[in-house]
Amino acid sequence: MTVAYNKRSTEDPILRKLNLELNQEKAVIVGPNGSGKSTLFKAILGLAPISGGAVKLFGIDAMSERQDTRVSTNLAEVYRIAYVRVRDLVSIFAELKGGNPQETLGMFRDFELESILGKKVHELSTGQAKMFGNILAVCFSPKLILLDEPFDNVDNRRRRRFIEILRGLDVETVIITHEFNLLQRLGDWGLYSMLEGRLWGKFSVSQLDRLFITRGDMRDALGVMDTSLGKLSVTLDHGDIAVKTARSLNAVLGEV
Amino acid sequence: MIFWLFLYAFSFAQGVPKTQPALLEFSAFSYGSIALFSSSSLAISIAYSIYYASSSLVYSFRFTRLNLSSYIATLIGSSSALGIILSAIMIACTYIIIFSLKFGFNLAPANQLGAFGVSALAGVFMMTFALFLVLLVVNYAGLQNISLVTFILLILAFGLGLATVNSPLPTGLLYGSPYNAIQTLLYTTYSGLAAHAQLSDPTSAILQWQYMVASLIAWIVLLLGVDGLLLRRLKPRQAEEGRQI
Repeated sequence: MTVAYNKRSTEDPILRKLNLELNQEKAVIVGPNGSGKSTLFKAILGLAPISGGAVKLFGIDAMSERQDTRVSTNLAEVYRIAYVRVRDLVSIFAELKGGNPQETLGMFRDFELESILGKKVHELSTGQAKMFGNILAVCFSPKLILLDEPFDNVDNRRRRRFIEILRGLDVETVIITHEFNLLQRLGDWGLYSMLEGRLWGKFSVSQLDRLFITRGDMRDALGVMDTSLGKLSVTLDHGDIAVKTARSLNAVLGEV
Repeated sequence: MIFWLFLYAFSFAQGVPKTQPALLEFSAFSYGSIALFSSSSLAISIAYSIYYASSSLVYSFRFTRLNLSSYIATLIGSSSALGIILSAIMIACTYIIIFSLKFGFNLAPANQLGAFGVSALAGVFMMTFALFLVLLVVNYAGLQNISLVTFILLILAFGLGLATVNSPLPTGLLYGSPYNAIQTLLYTTYSGLAAHAQLSDPTSAILQWQYMVASLIAWIVLLLGVDGLLLRRLKPRQAEEGRQI
Protein backbone atom coordinates (compact mmCIF):
# COMPACT_ATOMS: atom_id res chain seq x y z
CA MET A 1 0.00 0.00 0.00
CA THR A 2 1.20 3.50 -0.84
CA VAL A 3 -0.42 6.58 0.65
CA ALA A 4 0.03 10.15 -0.55
CA TYR A 5 -2.24 13.02 0.38
CA ASN A 6 -1.94 14.92 -2.91
CA LYS A 7 -0.39 14.74 -6.37
CA ARG A 8 2.62 16.78 -5.27
CA SER A 9 3.54 14.21 -2.65
CA THR A 10 3.18 11.06 -4.79
CA GLU A 11 6.93 11.15 -5.45
CA ASP A 12 7.53 11.28 -1.72
CA PRO A 13 4.57 9.40 -0.27
CA ILE A 14 3.82 9.13 3.42
CA LEU A 15 3.57 5.32 3.26
CA ARG A 16 5.77 3.51 0.74
CA LYS A 17 4.75 0.12 -0.63
CA LEU A 18 3.86 -1.02 2.85
CA ASN A 19 2.97 -4.66 3.43
CA LEU A 20 1.32 -5.85 6.60
CA GLU A 21 -0.64 -9.03 7.16
CA LEU A 22 -2.21 -9.96 10.46
CA ASN A 23 -3.88 -13.26 11.12
CA GLN A 24 -5.72 -13.33 14.43
CA GLU A 25 -2.82 -11.82 16.33
CA LYS A 26 -1.97 -8.81 18.42
CA ALA A 27 0.77 -6.43 17.38
CA VAL A 28 2.50 -3.24 18.34
CA ILE A 29 3.90 -0.74 15.86
CA VAL A 30 6.61 1.57 17.11
CA GLY A 31 8.25 4.39 15.25
CA PRO A 32 9.47 7.96 15.55
CA ASN A 33 7.17 10.94 15.10
CA GLY A 34 6.24 11.51 11.49
CA SER A 35 7.05 7.98 10.35
CA GLY A 36 3.50 7.35 9.12
CA LYS A 37 2.05 5.25 11.94
CA SER A 38 -1.22 7.15 12.31
CA THR A 39 -1.49 7.46 8.53
CA LEU A 40 -1.40 3.66 8.32
CA PHE A 41 -4.48 3.42 10.54
CA LYS A 42 -6.24 6.20 8.63
CA ALA A 43 -5.55 4.41 5.34
CA ILE A 44 -6.94 1.15 6.74
CA LEU A 45 -10.09 2.96 7.87
CA GLY A 46 -10.54 4.86 4.61
CA LEU A 47 -9.61 8.20 6.13
CA ALA A 48 -6.45 8.69 4.04
CA PRO A 49 -6.19 8.36 0.26
CA ILE A 50 -4.45 5.20 -0.97
CA SER A 51 -2.51 5.98 -4.14
CA GLY A 52 -1.35 2.42 -4.71
CA GLY A 53 -2.17 -1.06 -3.43
CA ALA A 54 -5.15 -2.19 -1.42
CA VAL A 55 -6.39 -2.85 2.08
CA LYS A 56 -8.35 -5.97 2.94
CA LEU A 57 -10.16 -6.51 6.20
CA PHE A 58 -11.30 -10.07 6.92
CA GLY A 59 -10.69 -10.79 3.24
CA ILE A 60 -12.88 -7.95 1.98
CA ASP A 61 -11.61 -4.88 0.14
CA ALA A 62 -11.82 -2.10 2.73
CA MET A 63 -12.96 0.44 0.13
CA SER A 64 -16.12 -1.57 -0.48
CA GLU A 65 -16.78 -2.22 3.20
CA ARG A 66 -20.22 -1.20 4.38
CA GLN A 67 -21.75 -1.60 7.82
CA ASP A 68 -19.02 -3.92 9.10
CA THR A 69 -19.12 -3.44 12.87
CA ARG A 70 -16.13 -5.70 13.48
CA VAL A 71 -13.57 -2.90 13.18
CA SER A 72 -13.09 -0.20 15.78
CA THR A 73 -10.56 2.46 16.63
CA ASN A 74 -9.79 5.20 19.11
CA LEU A 75 -9.05 7.87 16.49
CA ALA A 76 -10.74 11.04 17.73
CA GLU A 77 -12.11 12.19 14.38
CA VAL A 78 -14.39 9.18 13.95
CA TYR A 79 -16.40 10.15 17.02
CA ARG A 80 -17.28 13.67 15.86
CA ILE A 81 -20.54 12.61 14.26
CA ALA A 82 -22.63 15.03 16.31
CA TYR A 83 -22.11 18.00 18.62
CA VAL A 84 -23.51 16.32 21.72
CA ARG A 85 -22.39 15.23 25.18
CA VAL A 86 -20.16 12.19 25.77
CA ARG A 87 -23.10 10.25 27.22
CA ASP A 88 -25.10 10.88 24.04
CA LEU A 89 -22.17 9.88 21.83
CA VAL A 90 -21.97 6.62 23.76
CA SER A 91 -25.67 6.02 23.07
CA ILE A 92 -25.29 6.89 19.39
CA PHE A 93 -22.34 4.58 18.82
CA ALA A 94 -23.89 1.82 20.94
CA GLU A 95 -26.86 1.87 18.60
CA LEU A 96 -24.67 2.14 15.49
CA LYS A 97 -22.44 -0.72 16.62
CA GLY A 98 -25.26 -2.88 17.99
CA GLY A 99 -23.88 -2.76 21.51
CA ASN A 100 -25.13 -2.11 25.02
CA PRO A 101 -24.64 1.49 26.14
CA GLN A 102 -24.94 0.52 29.82
CA GLU A 103 -21.88 -1.73 29.57
CA THR A 104 -19.91 1.12 28.06
CA LEU A 105 -21.08 3.56 30.70
CA GLY A 106 -20.01 0.97 33.26
CA MET A 107 -16.50 1.04 31.81
CA PHE A 108 -16.40 4.80 32.21
CA ARG A 109 -17.26 4.23 35.88
CA ASP A 110 -14.52 1.57 36.17
CA PHE A 111 -12.02 4.11 34.95
CA GLU A 112 -13.49 6.76 37.29
CA LEU A 113 -14.46 8.90 34.33
CA GLU A 114 -18.15 9.46 35.10
CA SER A 115 -17.47 13.18 35.36
CA ILE A 116 -16.86 13.46 31.62
CA LEU A 117 -20.19 11.94 30.59
CA GLY A 118 -21.98 15.27 30.86
CA LYS A 119 -19.36 17.17 28.86
CA LYS A 120 -18.86 17.71 25.17
CA VAL A 121 -15.74 16.19 23.63
CA HIS A 122 -14.01 19.54 23.10
CA GLU A 123 -14.40 20.24 26.85
CA LEU A 124 -12.40 17.16 27.84
CA SER A 125 -8.74 17.22 28.81
CA THR A 126 -6.33 15.55 26.36
CA GLY A 127 -6.07 12.46 28.55
CA GLN A 128 -9.84 12.26 29.09
CA ALA A 129 -10.45 12.55 25.34
CA LYS A 130 -7.91 9.78 24.75
CA MET A 131 -9.61 7.49 27.28
CA PHE A 132 -13.00 8.30 25.72
CA GLY A 133 -11.74 7.00 22.38
CA ASN A 134 -9.99 4.03 24.01
CA ILE A 135 -13.13 2.90 25.81
CA LEU A 136 -15.34 3.20 22.74
CA ALA A 137 -12.73 1.29 20.73
CA VAL A 138 -12.82 -1.79 22.98
CA CYS A 139 -16.57 -1.86 23.61
CA PHE A 140 -19.30 -3.25 21.33
CA SER A 141 -17.50 -6.58 20.64
CA PRO A 142 -15.08 -5.64 17.85
CA LYS A 143 -12.97 -8.24 16.08
CA LEU A 144 -10.19 -5.82 15.08
CA ILE A 145 -9.12 -2.90 17.25
CA LEU A 146 -6.78 -0.19 15.97
CA LEU A 147 -5.40 1.96 18.80
CA ASP A 148 -3.36 5.04 17.97
CA GLU A 149 -1.15 6.10 20.89
CA PRO A 150 -3.69 4.92 23.47
CA PHE A 151 -1.47 5.85 26.42
CA ASP A 152 -0.66 9.43 25.45
CA ASN A 153 -1.46 11.85 28.28
CA VAL A 154 -3.14 9.07 30.27
CA ASP A 155 -2.12 8.66 33.91
CA ASN A 156 -0.24 5.52 34.98
CA ARG A 157 -3.13 3.97 36.86
CA ARG A 158 -5.49 4.16 33.89
CA ARG A 159 -2.70 3.01 31.56
CA ARG A 160 -2.14 -0.14 33.61
CA ARG A 161 -5.88 -0.80 33.83
CA PHE A 162 -6.31 -0.36 30.07
CA ILE A 163 -3.37 -2.65 29.30
CA GLU A 164 -4.96 -5.34 31.46
CA ILE A 165 -8.16 -4.99 29.46
CA LEU A 166 -6.24 -5.26 26.18
CA ARG A 167 -4.38 -8.34 27.35
CA GLY A 168 -7.66 -9.95 28.35
CA LEU A 169 -9.39 -9.35 25.01
CA ASP A 170 -9.32 -12.20 22.53
CA VAL A 171 -9.45 -10.02 19.43
CA GLU A 172 -6.96 -8.84 16.82
CA THR A 173 -5.42 -5.67 18.17
CA VAL A 174 -2.87 -3.30 16.72
CA ILE A 175 -1.41 -0.61 18.91
CA ILE A 176 0.72 2.31 17.83
CA THR A 177 2.91 3.61 20.59
CA HIS A 178 6.31 5.05 21.23
CA GLU A 179 6.23 4.17 24.95
CA PHE A 180 8.76 1.32 25.17
CA ASN A 181 8.37 0.96 28.93
CA LEU A 182 4.73 -0.07 28.51
CA LEU A 183 5.52 -2.72 25.90
CA GLN A 184 7.06 -4.93 28.60
CA ARG A 185 3.53 -5.77 29.76
CA LEU A 186 2.41 -7.04 26.37
CA GLY A 187 4.20 -10.36 26.47
CA ASP A 188 4.22 -12.18 23.17
CA TRP A 189 2.61 -9.53 20.99
CA GLY A 190 4.17 -9.02 17.57
CA LEU A 191 6.42 -6.00 17.16
CA TYR A 192 6.83 -3.91 14.01
CA SER A 193 8.92 -0.85 13.46
CA MET A 194 7.88 1.97 11.17
CA LEU A 195 10.52 4.27 9.75
CA GLU A 196 10.09 6.86 6.99
CA GLY A 197 6.84 5.33 5.74
CA ARG A 198 8.09 1.74 5.66
CA LEU A 199 7.23 -1.09 7.99
CA TRP A 200 9.85 -3.50 9.29
CA GLY A 201 9.34 -6.73 11.20
CA LYS A 202 7.89 -8.93 12.45
CA PHE A 203 9.77 -9.13 15.74
CA SER A 204 8.33 -9.97 19.15
CA VAL A 205 7.67 -7.76 22.12
CA SER A 206 9.16 -10.52 24.27
CA GLN A 207 12.47 -9.95 22.45
CA LEU A 208 12.48 -6.27 23.35
CA ASP A 209 15.11 -6.70 26.09
CA ARG A 210 17.41 -8.46 23.62
CA LEU A 211 16.99 -6.23 20.57
CA PHE A 212 19.78 -3.97 19.37
CA ILE A 213 20.08 -1.55 16.49
CA THR A 214 23.35 -1.41 14.60
CA ARG A 215 24.52 0.78 11.72
CA GLY A 216 25.17 -1.20 8.58
CA ASP A 217 24.01 -4.46 7.07
CA MET A 218 24.72 -7.22 9.60
CA ARG A 219 24.74 -10.80 8.42
CA ASP A 220 22.83 -12.14 11.43
CA ALA A 221 20.30 -9.33 11.53
CA LEU A 222 16.66 -10.13 12.16
CA GLY A 223 15.86 -7.37 9.70
CA VAL A 224 17.66 -4.57 7.85
CA MET A 225 15.98 -1.18 7.57
CA ASP A 226 16.85 1.04 4.62
CA THR A 227 16.59 4.61 5.92
CA SER A 228 17.86 8.11 5.27
CA LEU A 229 20.37 7.39 8.06
CA GLY A 230 21.70 4.50 6.01
CA LYS A 231 21.13 0.81 6.62
CA LEU A 232 20.15 -0.08 10.18
CA SER A 233 20.21 -3.71 11.27
CA VAL A 234 18.01 -5.11 14.03
CA THR A 235 20.04 -7.73 15.85
CA LEU A 236 19.55 -10.01 18.83
CA ASP A 237 21.76 -9.89 21.94
CA HIS A 238 24.44 -7.67 20.43
CA GLY A 239 24.77 -4.41 18.57
CA ASP A 240 25.39 -0.67 18.87
CA ILE A 241 22.36 0.50 20.81
CA ALA A 242 20.06 -1.55 23.02
CA VAL A 243 16.48 -0.81 22.21
CA LYS A 244 15.41 -1.44 25.82
CA THR A 245 17.58 1.37 27.14
CA ALA A 246 15.70 3.95 25.13
CA ARG A 247 12.34 5.41 26.08
CA SER A 248 11.43 5.57 22.44
CA LEU A 249 12.60 4.81 18.92
CA ASN A 250 13.26 8.54 18.49
CA ALA A 251 15.90 8.28 21.18
CA VAL A 252 17.44 5.12 19.67
CA LEU A 253 17.74 6.74 16.24
CA GLY A 254 19.19 9.83 17.83
CA GLU A 255 21.96 7.78 19.42
CA VAL A 256 22.67 5.69 16.28
CA MET B 1 -37.17 35.70 10.55
CA ILE B 2 -38.70 38.12 13.07
CA PHE B 3 -36.42 40.84 11.75
CA TRP B 4 -37.65 40.29 8.20
CA LEU B 5 -41.28 40.25 9.33
CA PHE B 6 -40.88 43.64 11.01
CA LEU B 7 -39.07 44.96 7.94
CA TYR B 8 -41.82 43.83 5.62
CA ALA B 9 -44.61 45.11 7.93
CA PHE B 10 -43.11 48.47 8.85
CA SER B 11 -41.01 49.39 5.81
CA PHE B 12 -41.82 47.45 2.66
CA ALA B 13 -45.60 47.84 3.20
CA GLN B 14 -45.45 51.62 2.82
CA GLY B 15 -46.81 51.64 -0.75
CA VAL B 16 -49.42 48.91 -0.26
CA PRO B 17 -53.06 50.09 -0.34
CA LYS B 18 -54.51 49.89 3.17
CA THR B 19 -57.37 47.59 2.26
CA GLN B 20 -57.96 44.10 3.58
CA PRO B 21 -57.57 42.28 0.22
CA ALA B 22 -54.37 44.15 -0.68
CA LEU B 23 -52.85 43.65 2.75
CA LEU B 24 -53.80 39.98 2.77
CA GLU B 25 -51.98 39.50 -0.52
CA PHE B 26 -49.01 41.45 0.79
CA SER B 27 -48.97 39.35 3.98
CA ALA B 28 -49.10 36.18 1.90
CA PHE B 29 -46.22 37.40 -0.27
CA SER B 30 -44.19 38.34 2.82
CA TYR B 31 -44.87 34.96 4.40
CA GLY B 32 -43.66 33.16 1.27
CA SER B 33 -40.51 35.29 0.87
CA ILE B 34 -39.46 35.12 4.50
CA ALA B 35 -40.09 31.38 4.61
CA LEU B 36 -37.68 31.06 1.68
CA PHE B 37 -34.94 33.00 3.45
CA SER B 38 -35.48 31.25 6.79
CA SER B 39 -35.61 27.73 5.42
CA SER B 40 -32.41 28.42 3.44
CA SER B 41 -30.60 29.45 6.62
CA LEU B 42 -31.94 26.45 8.52
CA ALA B 43 -30.88 24.03 5.81
CA ILE B 44 -27.38 25.51 5.70
CA SER B 45 -26.87 24.95 9.41
CA ILE B 46 -27.96 21.31 9.13
CA ALA B 47 -25.90 20.66 6.00
CA TYR B 48 -22.83 22.17 7.65
CA SER B 49 -22.80 19.21 10.04
CA ILE B 50 -21.33 17.25 7.10
CA TYR B 51 -18.42 19.70 7.07
CA TYR B 52 -17.48 18.91 10.67
CA ALA B 53 -18.38 15.22 10.63
CA SER B 54 -16.99 14.09 7.26
CA SER B 55 -14.37 11.74 8.76
CA SER B 56 -16.85 10.37 11.24
CA LEU B 57 -19.41 9.74 8.51
CA VAL B 58 -16.88 8.01 6.24
CA TYR B 59 -15.95 5.73 9.17
CA SER B 60 -19.55 5.21 10.25
CA PHE B 61 -20.82 4.25 6.77
CA ARG B 62 -18.07 1.58 6.62
CA PHE B 63 -17.75 0.31 10.17
CA THR B 64 -21.11 0.86 11.88
CA ARG B 65 -24.68 0.02 11.00
CA LEU B 66 -25.27 3.51 9.66
CA ASN B 67 -26.29 3.32 6.02
CA LEU B 68 -26.73 6.07 3.47
CA SER B 69 -30.48 5.62 3.14
CA SER B 70 -31.20 5.90 6.84
CA TYR B 71 -28.86 8.86 7.20
CA ILE B 72 -30.54 10.73 4.35
CA ALA B 73 -33.95 9.75 5.71
CA THR B 74 -32.97 11.22 9.08
CA LEU B 75 -31.93 14.48 7.45
CA ILE B 76 -35.17 14.62 5.46
CA GLY B 77 -37.27 13.84 8.51
CA SER B 78 -35.58 16.49 10.58
CA SER B 79 -35.75 19.12 7.83
CA SER B 80 -39.45 18.52 7.14
CA ALA B 81 -40.23 18.64 10.85
CA LEU B 82 -38.25 21.86 11.19
CA GLY B 83 -40.05 23.22 8.13
CA ILE B 84 -43.42 22.60 9.78
CA ILE B 85 -42.31 24.13 13.08
CA LEU B 86 -40.89 27.13 11.25
CA SER B 87 -44.15 27.48 9.35
CA ALA B 88 -46.22 27.40 12.53
CA ILE B 89 -44.06 30.06 14.15
CA MET B 90 -44.12 32.18 11.01
CA ILE B 91 -47.89 31.94 10.63
CA ALA B 92 -48.36 32.94 14.25
CA CYS B 93 -45.92 35.85 13.93
CA THR B 94 -47.20 37.00 10.55
CA TYR B 95 -50.87 36.82 11.49
CA ILE B 96 -51.05 37.66 15.15
CA ILE B 97 -48.06 39.71 16.09
CA ILE B 98 -47.16 41.77 13.12
CA PHE B 99 -49.54 42.09 10.24
CA SER B 100 -52.94 41.93 11.95
CA LEU B 101 -51.79 44.16 14.82
CA LYS B 102 -49.96 46.58 12.53
CA PHE B 103 -52.74 47.08 10.02
CA GLY B 104 -55.79 46.36 12.14
CA PHE B 105 -57.29 43.81 9.74
CA ASN B 106 -57.86 40.11 10.23
CA LEU B 107 -55.17 38.69 7.99
CA ALA B 108 -55.66 35.07 8.92
CA PRO B 109 -54.12 32.46 6.62
CA ALA B 110 -56.68 30.73 4.46
CA ASN B 111 -55.19 27.23 4.53
CA GLN B 112 -52.91 26.52 7.50
CA LEU B 113 -52.63 22.79 6.83
CA GLY B 114 -51.69 23.48 3.24
CA ALA B 115 -49.07 25.94 4.47
CA PHE B 116 -47.62 23.27 6.78
CA GLY B 117 -47.47 20.80 3.93
CA VAL B 118 -45.72 23.24 1.61
CA SER B 119 -43.33 24.24 4.40
CA ALA B 120 -42.44 20.59 4.96
CA LEU B 121 -41.68 20.20 1.24
CA ALA B 122 -39.75 23.49 1.29
CA GLY B 123 -37.68 22.27 4.23
CA VAL B 124 -36.87 19.03 2.44
CA PHE B 125 -35.94 20.82 -0.79
CA MET B 126 -33.69 23.30 1.00
CA MET B 127 -32.07 20.44 2.92
CA THR B 128 -31.35 18.38 -0.20
CA PHE B 129 -30.06 21.41 -2.10
CA ALA B 130 -27.86 22.61 0.78
CA LEU B 131 -26.56 19.06 1.18
CA PHE B 132 -25.76 18.93 -2.54
CA LEU B 133 -23.75 22.15 -2.36
CA VAL B 134 -21.92 21.15 0.83
CA LEU B 135 -21.03 17.73 -0.62
CA LEU B 136 -19.68 19.36 -3.80
CA VAL B 137 -17.45 21.56 -1.67
CA VAL B 138 -16.32 18.76 0.67
CA ASN B 139 -15.66 16.26 -2.12
CA TYR B 140 -14.28 18.44 -4.90
CA ALA B 141 -13.87 22.14 -4.22
CA GLY B 142 -12.13 22.08 -0.83
CA LEU B 143 -13.35 23.42 2.47
CA GLN B 144 -11.89 26.87 1.80
CA ASN B 145 -14.94 27.39 -0.42
CA ILE B 146 -17.53 26.35 2.16
CA SER B 147 -18.84 29.91 2.57
CA LEU B 148 -19.99 29.74 -1.07
CA VAL B 149 -22.78 27.43 0.07
CA THR B 150 -24.37 30.13 2.22
CA PHE B 151 -23.85 32.72 -0.49
CA ILE B 152 -25.41 30.62 -3.26
CA LEU B 153 -28.45 29.60 -1.24
CA LEU B 154 -29.27 33.11 -0.06
CA ILE B 155 -28.65 34.71 -3.44
CA LEU B 156 -31.01 32.21 -5.07
CA ALA B 157 -33.63 32.74 -2.35
CA PHE B 158 -33.52 36.50 -2.79
CA GLY B 159 -33.15 36.50 -6.54
CA LEU B 160 -35.52 33.78 -7.67
CA GLY B 161 -37.95 34.26 -4.80
CA LEU B 162 -38.44 37.99 -5.38
CA ALA B 163 -38.05 37.99 -9.16
CA THR B 164 -41.72 37.33 -9.83
CA VAL B 165 -42.95 40.49 -8.11
CA ASN B 166 -42.33 42.91 -10.94
CA SER B 167 -40.57 40.91 -13.65
CA PRO B 168 -42.39 38.83 -16.26
CA LEU B 169 -40.42 35.59 -16.32
CA PRO B 170 -40.65 32.81 -18.92
CA THR B 171 -43.22 30.11 -18.11
CA GLY B 172 -40.51 27.43 -18.10
CA LEU B 173 -38.61 29.26 -15.37
CA LEU B 174 -41.78 29.95 -13.40
CA TYR B 175 -42.70 26.28 -13.25
CA GLY B 176 -39.16 24.94 -13.25
CA SER B 177 -37.81 27.06 -10.40
CA PRO B 178 -38.27 25.38 -7.03
CA TYR B 179 -37.84 28.76 -5.33
CA ASN B 180 -40.75 30.18 -7.30
CA ALA B 181 -42.73 27.03 -6.53
CA ILE B 182 -42.22 27.48 -2.77
CA GLN B 183 -42.95 31.20 -2.88
CA THR B 184 -46.05 30.71 -5.02
CA LEU B 185 -47.48 27.79 -3.05
CA LEU B 186 -47.00 29.57 0.27
CA TYR B 187 -48.62 32.68 -1.18
CA THR B 188 -51.58 30.62 -2.36
CA THR B 189 -52.04 28.73 0.94
CA TYR B 190 -51.84 31.91 3.00
CA SER B 191 -54.02 34.15 0.84
CA GLY B 192 -56.40 31.53 -0.53
CA LEU B 193 -55.89 33.15 -3.94
CA ALA B 194 -54.34 31.79 -7.12
CA ALA B 195 -50.87 33.21 -7.78
CA HIS B 196 -50.15 35.17 -10.92
CA ALA B 197 -47.02 34.87 -13.07
CA GLN B 198 -46.21 38.45 -12.09
CA LEU B 199 -47.48 39.16 -8.61
CA SER B 200 -47.85 42.90 -9.21
CA ASP B 201 -49.88 42.32 -12.38
CA PRO B 202 -53.26 40.65 -11.72
CA THR B 203 -53.83 40.35 -15.48
CA SER B 204 -50.84 38.05 -15.94
CA ALA B 205 -51.32 34.29 -16.30
CA ILE B 206 -52.46 32.27 -13.30
CA LEU B 207 -49.98 29.66 -12.12
CA GLN B 208 -51.30 26.14 -11.61
CA TRP B 209 -50.45 24.99 -8.08
CA GLN B 210 -50.48 21.31 -9.12
CA TYR B 211 -47.59 21.87 -11.52
CA MET B 212 -45.74 23.78 -8.82
CA VAL B 213 -46.06 20.86 -6.40
CA ALA B 214 -44.95 18.41 -9.09
CA SER B 215 -41.95 20.61 -9.94
CA LEU B 216 -40.90 20.84 -6.29
CA ILE B 217 -41.22 17.10 -5.77
CA ALA B 218 -39.27 16.40 -8.97
CA TRP B 219 -36.43 18.63 -7.76
CA ILE B 220 -36.41 16.86 -4.41
CA VAL B 221 -36.24 13.42 -6.01
CA LEU B 222 -33.45 14.51 -8.36
CA LEU B 223 -31.41 16.07 -5.55
CA LEU B 224 -31.93 13.03 -3.31
CA GLY B 225 -30.44 10.81 -6.00
CA VAL B 226 -27.45 13.08 -6.53
CA ASP B 227 -26.93 13.50 -2.77
CA GLY B 228 -26.85 9.74 -2.35
CA LEU B 229 -24.15 9.43 -5.02
CA LEU B 230 -22.09 12.23 -3.50
CA LEU B 231 -22.42 10.82 0.03
CA ARG B 232 -21.16 7.48 -1.24
CA ARG B 233 -18.02 9.33 -2.38
CA LEU B 234 -17.70 11.46 0.75
CA LYS B 235 -14.11 12.52 1.43
CA PRO B 236 -12.85 12.75 5.00
CA ARG B 237 -11.73 16.30 5.68
CA GLN B 238 -10.26 18.12 8.63
CA ALA B 239 -12.19 21.19 9.78
CA GLU B 240 -8.87 23.09 9.71
CA GLU B 241 -8.95 22.89 5.93
CA GLY B 242 -11.81 25.42 6.00
CA ARG B 243 -9.57 28.18 7.35
CA GLN B 244 -9.68 31.23 5.11
CA ILE B 245 -6.69 33.04 6.53
